[in-house]
Amino acid sequence: MAGLLKKTTGLVGLAVSHNPHERLRILYSKILASLQTMPQDAAYRKYTEQLVSERFQHVKMEPDVEKLEKKINCGQIEEVIFQAECELALSRKMTEWKPWEPLIEEPPPNQWKWPI
Amino acid sequence: MAASLVRFVRGGLGRSYNLARGSCVLQQQTRLQSATTETSPTIKPKDAVTHSQLAAFGEYVAEMMPKYIQQVQVTCYNELEVMIHPDGVIPVLTFLRDHTNGQFRNMIDLTAVDVPTRQNRFEIVYHLLSLRYNSRLRIKTYTDELTPVDSAVPVHMAANWYEREVWDMFGVYFANHPDLRRILTDYGFEGHPFRKDFPLSGYVEVRYDDEVKRVVAEPVELSQEFRKFDLNTPWEVFPAYREPKEAAPKLEAGDAAPEKK
Repeated sequence: MAGLLKKTTGLVGLAVSHNPHERLRILYSKILASLQTMPQDAAYRKYTEQLVSERFQHVKMEPDVEKLEKKINCGQIEEVIFQAECELALSRKMTEWKPWEPLIEEPPPNQWKWPI
Repeated sequence: MAASLVRFVRGGLGRSYNLARGSCVLQQQTRLQSATTETSPTIKPKDAVTHSQLAAFGEYVAEMMPKYIQQVQVTCYNELEVMIHPDGVIPVLTFLRDHTNGQFRNMIDLTAVDVPTRQNRFEIVYHLLSLRYNSRLRIKTYTDELTPVDSAVPVHMAANWYEREVWDMFGVYFANHPDLRRILTDYGFEGHPFRKDFPLSGYVEVRYDDEVKRVVAEPVELSQEFRKFDLNTPWEVFPAYREPKEAAPKLEAGDAAPEKK
Protein backbone atom coordinates (compact mmCIF):
# COMPACT_ATOMS: atom_id res chain seq x y z
CA MET A 1 0.00 0.00 0.00
CA ALA A 2 2.63 2.47 1.11
CA GLY A 3 4.95 1.21 -1.61
CA LEU A 4 2.44 2.11 -4.30
CA LEU A 5 2.19 5.70 -3.15
CA LYS A 6 5.76 6.28 -2.06
CA LYS A 7 8.56 6.02 -4.61
CA THR A 8 11.56 6.90 -2.47
CA THR A 9 12.55 7.99 1.00
CA GLY A 10 14.89 10.60 -0.44
CA LEU A 11 17.71 9.20 1.68
CA VAL A 12 20.64 7.33 0.18
CA GLY A 13 20.75 3.67 1.13
CA LEU A 14 17.31 3.63 2.75
CA ALA A 15 14.75 1.75 0.66
CA VAL A 16 10.99 2.21 0.92
CA SER A 17 9.46 -0.33 3.29
CA HIS A 18 6.43 -2.20 1.93
CA ASN A 19 5.17 -3.59 5.23
CA PRO A 20 6.39 -1.20 7.95
CA HIS A 21 3.81 -2.29 10.54
CA GLU A 22 4.79 -5.94 10.27
CA ARG A 23 8.49 -5.10 10.44
CA LEU A 24 8.12 -2.79 13.42
CA ARG A 25 5.95 -5.28 15.27
CA ILE A 26 8.62 -7.98 14.90
CA LEU A 27 11.46 -5.63 15.89
CA TYR A 28 9.71 -4.15 18.91
CA SER A 29 8.68 -7.54 20.29
CA LYS A 30 12.27 -8.74 19.84
CA ILE A 31 13.62 -5.67 21.69
CA LEU A 32 11.16 -6.19 24.54
CA ALA A 33 12.13 -9.87 24.76
CA SER A 34 15.80 -8.93 24.85
CA LEU A 35 15.12 -6.40 27.61
CA GLN A 36 13.45 -9.09 29.70
CA THR A 37 16.85 -10.69 30.32
CA MET A 38 18.16 -7.59 32.13
CA PRO A 39 17.66 -6.93 35.84
CA GLN A 40 14.44 -5.15 36.79
CA ASP A 41 16.06 -2.01 38.19
CA ALA A 42 18.48 -1.38 35.30
CA ALA A 43 17.94 2.16 34.05
CA TYR A 44 18.50 1.10 30.45
CA ARG A 45 15.75 -1.50 30.68
CA LYS A 46 13.37 0.90 32.39
CA TYR A 47 13.71 3.77 29.91
CA THR A 48 13.95 1.65 26.78
CA GLU A 49 10.89 -0.41 27.74
CA GLN A 50 8.98 2.80 28.23
CA LEU A 51 10.13 4.21 24.88
CA VAL A 52 9.59 1.04 22.87
CA SER A 53 6.21 0.16 24.34
CA GLU A 54 4.98 3.68 23.63
CA ARG A 55 5.96 3.35 19.97
CA PHE A 56 4.60 -0.19 19.88
CA GLN A 57 1.23 1.15 21.05
CA HIS A 58 1.21 3.68 18.21
CA VAL A 59 2.05 0.95 15.69
CA LYS A 60 -0.78 -1.23 16.97
CA MET A 61 -3.35 1.57 17.08
CA GLU A 62 -2.59 3.46 13.86
CA PRO A 63 -2.92 1.64 10.51
CA ASP A 64 -2.18 4.70 8.36
CA VAL A 65 1.55 5.17 7.76
CA GLU A 66 1.58 8.95 7.47
CA LYS A 67 -0.37 9.45 10.68
CA LEU A 68 1.85 6.92 12.39
CA GLU A 69 4.95 8.88 11.35
CA LYS A 70 3.42 12.02 12.84
CA LYS A 71 2.53 10.24 16.07
CA ILE A 72 5.99 8.76 16.55
CA ASN A 73 7.55 12.06 15.39
CA CYS A 74 11.02 10.69 14.67
CA GLY A 75 11.30 10.94 10.89
CA GLN A 76 9.94 8.71 8.14
CA ILE A 77 8.78 5.21 8.96
CA GLU A 78 11.87 3.73 7.32
CA GLU A 79 14.07 5.75 9.66
CA VAL A 80 12.00 4.55 12.61
CA ILE A 81 12.61 0.97 11.44
CA PHE A 82 16.32 1.67 11.24
CA GLN A 83 16.30 3.09 14.76
CA ALA A 84 14.52 -0.02 16.00
CA GLU A 85 17.12 -2.24 14.33
CA CYS A 86 19.92 -0.29 16.03
CA GLU A 87 18.16 -0.47 19.38
CA LEU A 88 17.76 -4.24 19.02
CA ALA A 89 21.46 -4.70 18.26
CA LEU A 90 22.33 -2.40 21.16
CA SER A 91 20.10 -4.19 23.66
CA ARG A 92 21.78 -7.49 22.80
CA LYS A 93 25.21 -5.98 23.29
CA MET A 94 24.08 -4.36 26.54
CA THR A 95 23.31 -7.76 28.06
CA GLU A 96 26.98 -8.65 27.49
CA TRP A 97 28.41 -5.39 28.82
CA LYS A 98 26.12 -5.09 31.87
CA PRO A 99 26.55 -1.29 32.17
CA TRP A 100 24.10 -1.09 35.11
CA GLU A 101 26.79 -2.43 37.44
CA PRO A 102 28.59 0.04 39.77
CA LEU A 103 31.53 2.10 38.51
CA ILE A 104 34.51 -0.14 37.72
CA GLU A 105 37.16 2.34 38.83
CA GLU A 106 37.21 5.83 40.28
CA PRO A 107 39.29 8.35 38.30
CA PRO A 108 42.74 9.11 39.71
CA PRO A 109 42.88 12.30 41.78
CA ASN A 110 42.95 15.53 39.74
CA GLN A 111 42.18 13.64 36.52
CA TRP A 112 39.19 15.81 35.64
CA LYS A 113 40.39 19.00 37.33
CA TRP A 114 41.01 21.82 34.89
CA PRO A 115 42.91 24.17 34.91
CA ILE A 116 45.39 22.11 36.86
CA MET B 1 26.35 8.09 41.87
CA ALA B 2 23.23 10.12 41.17
CA ALA B 3 23.97 12.46 44.04
CA SER B 4 27.52 13.10 42.91
CA LEU B 5 26.26 13.66 39.38
CA VAL B 6 23.83 16.33 40.51
CA ARG B 7 26.67 17.98 42.33
CA PHE B 8 28.81 18.08 39.20
CA VAL B 9 26.01 19.47 37.10
CA ARG B 10 25.44 22.13 39.69
CA GLY B 11 29.14 22.84 39.71
CA GLY B 12 28.84 23.60 36.01
CA LEU B 13 26.02 26.01 36.71
CA GLY B 14 28.03 27.80 39.35
CA ARG B 15 30.98 28.13 37.02
CA SER B 16 28.96 29.68 34.25
CA TYR B 17 27.49 32.12 36.76
CA ASN B 18 30.95 33.15 37.88
CA LEU B 19 32.05 33.65 34.33
CA ALA B 20 29.03 35.77 33.45
CA ARG B 21 29.70 37.94 36.48
CA GLY B 22 33.35 38.35 35.55
CA SER B 23 32.54 39.47 32.04
CA CYS B 24 30.00 41.95 33.42
CA VAL B 25 32.74 43.68 35.36
CA LEU B 26 34.86 43.78 32.23
CA GLN B 27 31.97 45.26 30.33
CA GLN B 28 31.55 48.08 32.82
CA GLN B 29 35.20 49.01 32.61
CA THR B 30 35.19 49.30 28.84
CA ARG B 31 32.03 51.35 28.99
CA LEU B 32 33.61 53.84 31.34
CA GLN B 33 36.55 54.23 29.01
CA SER B 34 34.64 54.77 25.80
CA ALA B 35 31.98 56.96 27.48
CA THR B 36 29.43 56.24 24.78
CA THR B 37 25.88 55.22 25.53
CA GLU B 38 25.52 51.57 24.77
CA THR B 39 22.07 50.13 25.13
CA SER B 40 22.68 46.42 25.24
CA PRO B 41 25.70 44.63 26.67
CA THR B 42 27.75 42.57 24.24
CA ILE B 43 28.02 39.53 26.44
CA LYS B 44 26.48 36.31 25.24
CA PRO B 45 23.05 35.88 26.81
CA LYS B 46 22.65 32.88 29.06
CA ASP B 47 20.62 30.08 27.57
CA ALA B 48 19.07 28.41 30.60
CA VAL B 49 16.76 26.18 28.54
CA THR B 50 19.56 24.56 26.54
CA HIS B 51 21.64 24.25 29.68
CA SER B 52 18.95 22.40 31.59
CA GLN B 53 18.19 20.18 28.59
CA LEU B 54 21.84 19.18 28.28
CA ALA B 55 22.11 18.60 32.01
CA ALA B 56 19.01 16.41 31.89
CA PHE B 57 20.40 14.37 29.00
CA GLY B 58 23.73 14.04 30.78
CA GLU B 59 22.01 12.68 33.87
CA TYR B 60 20.01 10.31 31.68
CA VAL B 61 23.18 8.91 30.07
CA ALA B 62 24.97 8.63 33.42
CA GLU B 63 22.03 6.79 34.92
CA MET B 64 21.99 4.34 32.00
CA MET B 65 25.69 3.46 32.17
CA PRO B 66 26.92 3.97 35.74
CA LYS B 67 29.59 1.31 35.17
CA TYR B 68 31.68 3.48 32.85
CA ILE B 69 30.71 7.13 33.37
CA GLN B 70 32.71 8.88 36.06
CA GLN B 71 31.45 12.41 35.73
CA VAL B 72 29.10 14.52 33.64
CA GLN B 73 29.24 18.27 33.33
CA VAL B 74 27.81 21.07 31.24
CA THR B 75 30.36 23.79 30.54
CA CYS B 76 29.60 27.48 30.70
CA TYR B 77 29.33 27.54 26.89
CA ASN B 78 26.58 24.90 26.98
CA GLU B 79 28.63 21.92 25.92
CA LEU B 80 27.86 18.55 27.42
CA GLU B 81 30.94 16.65 28.58
CA VAL B 82 30.92 13.02 29.62
CA MET B 83 34.00 11.68 31.40
CA ILE B 84 34.36 7.92 31.09
CA HIS B 85 36.67 5.15 32.18
CA PRO B 86 38.97 4.00 29.31
CA ASP B 87 37.40 0.52 29.35
CA GLY B 88 34.06 2.04 28.41
CA VAL B 89 35.01 3.62 25.09
CA ILE B 90 33.28 1.04 22.89
CA PRO B 91 30.17 0.56 25.08
CA VAL B 92 29.53 4.27 25.60
CA LEU B 93 30.12 5.22 21.95
CA THR B 94 27.91 2.36 20.76
CA PHE B 95 25.22 3.25 23.24
CA LEU B 96 25.17 6.89 22.16
CA ARG B 97 25.14 5.86 18.49
CA ASP B 98 22.41 3.23 18.66
CA HIS B 99 20.11 4.42 21.41
CA THR B 100 16.95 6.00 20.03
CA ASN B 101 17.15 9.00 22.35
CA GLY B 102 20.76 9.75 21.41
CA GLN B 103 21.53 8.82 17.81
CA PHE B 104 24.99 10.36 17.86
CA ARG B 105 25.85 8.75 14.53
CA ASN B 106 28.63 11.12 13.44
CA MET B 107 32.09 11.40 14.89
CA ILE B 108 33.23 14.96 14.31
CA ASP B 109 36.63 14.84 15.91
CA LEU B 110 38.94 12.69 17.98
CA THR B 111 42.02 14.16 19.55
CA ALA B 112 44.23 14.04 22.62
CA VAL B 113 45.50 16.47 25.24
CA ASP B 114 48.85 16.06 26.96
CA VAL B 115 49.02 17.10 30.62
CA PRO B 116 52.36 15.72 31.87
CA THR B 117 51.72 16.44 35.56
CA ARG B 118 48.88 13.95 35.74
CA GLN B 119 49.19 10.29 36.58
CA ASN B 120 47.48 9.48 33.27
CA ARG B 121 48.96 12.17 31.13
CA PHE B 122 46.86 11.82 27.97
CA GLU B 123 43.23 12.81 27.70
CA ILE B 124 41.46 11.37 24.67
CA VAL B 125 38.57 13.54 23.51
CA TYR B 126 35.73 12.41 21.22
CA HIS B 127 33.33 14.89 19.65
CA LEU B 128 30.00 13.49 18.50
CA LEU B 129 27.10 14.95 16.55
CA SER B 130 23.49 13.84 16.47
CA LEU B 131 21.79 15.03 13.29
CA ARG B 132 18.40 13.78 14.46
CA TYR B 133 18.33 15.92 17.60
CA ASN B 134 20.76 18.62 16.40
CA SER B 135 23.03 18.28 19.39
CA ARG B 136 26.67 17.73 20.15
CA LEU B 137 28.47 15.83 22.85
CA ARG B 138 32.02 15.55 24.07
CA ILE B 139 33.41 12.38 25.60
CA LYS B 140 36.68 12.36 27.50
CA THR B 141 38.77 9.48 28.70
CA TYR B 142 42.34 9.06 29.81
CA THR B 143 45.43 6.91 29.36
CA ASP B 144 49.20 6.97 29.85
CA GLU B 145 52.11 6.24 27.51
CA LEU B 146 51.91 2.47 27.78
CA THR B 147 48.26 1.60 28.28
CA PRO B 148 46.40 0.98 25.02
CA VAL B 149 42.90 2.40 24.53
CA ASP B 150 40.24 0.47 22.61
CA SER B 151 39.98 1.73 19.07
CA ALA B 152 36.69 3.41 18.12
CA VAL B 153 36.89 2.25 14.49
CA PRO B 154 34.35 -0.61 14.91
CA VAL B 155 31.81 2.00 16.05
CA HIS B 156 32.72 5.03 13.94
CA MET B 157 34.63 4.59 10.68
CA ALA B 158 35.71 8.23 10.89
CA ALA B 159 37.92 7.40 13.87
CA ASN B 160 40.43 5.58 11.63
CA TRP B 161 42.56 8.53 10.53
CA TYR B 162 42.00 10.47 13.74
CA GLU B 163 43.45 7.60 15.75
CA ARG B 164 46.38 7.35 13.39
CA GLU B 165 46.95 11.05 13.95
CA VAL B 166 46.79 10.71 17.74
CA TRP B 167 49.17 7.76 17.55
CA ASP B 168 51.56 9.76 15.38
CA MET B 169 51.45 12.98 17.37
CA PHE B 170 51.07 11.73 20.95
CA GLY B 171 52.09 8.08 20.86
CA VAL B 172 48.84 6.78 22.32
CA TYR B 173 48.39 3.16 21.26
CA PHE B 174 44.95 2.07 20.07
CA ALA B 175 44.17 -1.61 20.45
CA ASN B 176 42.40 -3.37 17.54
CA HIS B 177 42.96 -0.53 15.10
CA PRO B 178 42.98 -1.95 11.54
CA ASP B 179 45.91 0.13 10.24
CA LEU B 180 47.77 1.99 12.97
CA ARG B 181 50.81 3.73 11.46
CA ARG B 182 52.17 7.25 11.10
CA ILE B 183 50.09 9.72 9.08
CA LEU B 184 51.51 13.26 9.39
CA THR B 185 55.23 12.98 10.14
CA ASP B 186 57.93 12.14 7.62
CA TYR B 187 59.10 8.64 6.78
CA GLY B 188 61.53 7.47 9.42
CA PHE B 189 60.59 10.21 11.86
CA GLU B 190 61.23 9.37 15.50
CA GLY B 191 59.29 10.65 18.47
CA HIS B 192 55.82 12.12 18.97
CA PRO B 193 55.89 15.87 18.32
CA PHE B 194 52.77 16.94 20.22
CA ARG B 195 54.04 15.63 23.54
CA LYS B 196 54.88 18.43 25.93
CA ASP B 197 58.38 17.02 26.48
CA PHE B 198 59.22 17.07 22.75
CA PRO B 199 61.59 20.01 22.15
CA LEU B 200 60.40 22.86 19.95
CA SER B 201 63.39 22.46 17.64
CA GLY B 202 63.04 18.68 17.33
CA TYR B 203 65.90 16.21 17.55
CA VAL B 204 67.09 16.10 13.92
CA GLU B 205 67.32 18.53 11.04
CA VAL B 206 67.29 17.50 7.39
CA ARG B 207 69.13 19.10 4.49
CA TYR B 208 70.12 18.20 0.97
CA ASP B 209 73.73 17.08 0.80
CA ASP B 210 75.38 17.78 -2.55
CA GLU B 211 78.16 15.24 -2.07
CA VAL B 212 76.03 12.18 -1.33
CA LYS B 213 73.26 13.53 -3.61
CA ARG B 214 70.44 12.94 -1.17
CA VAL B 215 68.65 14.40 1.84
CA VAL B 216 70.49 13.68 5.06
CA ALA B 217 69.25 13.93 8.64
CA GLU B 218 71.59 15.23 11.30
CA PRO B 219 71.19 15.96 15.01
CA VAL B 220 70.11 19.54 15.67
CA GLU B 221 72.93 21.89 16.56
CA LEU B 222 71.86 25.18 18.08
CA SER B 223 74.41 27.98 18.26
CA GLN B 224 73.06 28.84 21.68
CA GLU B 225 73.21 25.55 23.52
CA PHE B 226 70.53 26.01 26.12
CA ARG B 227 67.80 28.57 26.16
CA LYS B 228 65.32 28.89 28.93
CA PHE B 229 62.03 30.09 27.58
CA ASP B 230 59.74 31.89 30.00
CA LEU B 231 56.40 31.41 28.31
CA ASN B 232 54.11 32.22 31.24
CA THR B 233 51.65 34.95 30.50
CA PRO B 234 51.54 37.91 32.93
CA TRP B 235 47.71 37.89 32.84
CA GLU B 236 45.47 35.69 34.86
CA VAL B 237 44.19 33.20 32.31
CA PHE B 238 41.23 31.61 34.04
CA PRO B 239 39.69 34.20 36.38
CA ALA B 240 36.45 32.27 36.42
CA TYR B 241 38.23 29.20 37.74
CA ARG B 242 39.95 30.94 40.64
CA GLU B 243 40.22 28.56 43.54
CA PRO B 244 38.68 29.63 46.84
CA LYS B 245 41.26 30.59 49.41
CA GLU B 246 41.56 28.19 52.29
CA ALA B 247 39.26 29.16 55.10
CA ALA B 248 40.59 29.46 58.62
CA PRO B 249 40.46 26.10 60.42
CA LYS B 250 37.22 25.72 62.26
CA LEU B 251 37.32 25.60 66.02
CA GLU B 252 35.73 22.76 67.87
CA ALA B 253 33.29 23.65 70.62
CA GLY B 254 35.66 22.73 73.45
CA ASP B 255 38.78 24.43 72.03
CA ALA B 256 39.89 27.76 73.39
CA ALA B 257 40.27 30.57 70.86
CA PRO B 258 43.89 31.44 70.11
CA GLU B 259 44.98 34.45 72.12
CA LYS B 260 45.42 37.68 70.27
CA LYS B 261 48.38 39.86 71.00
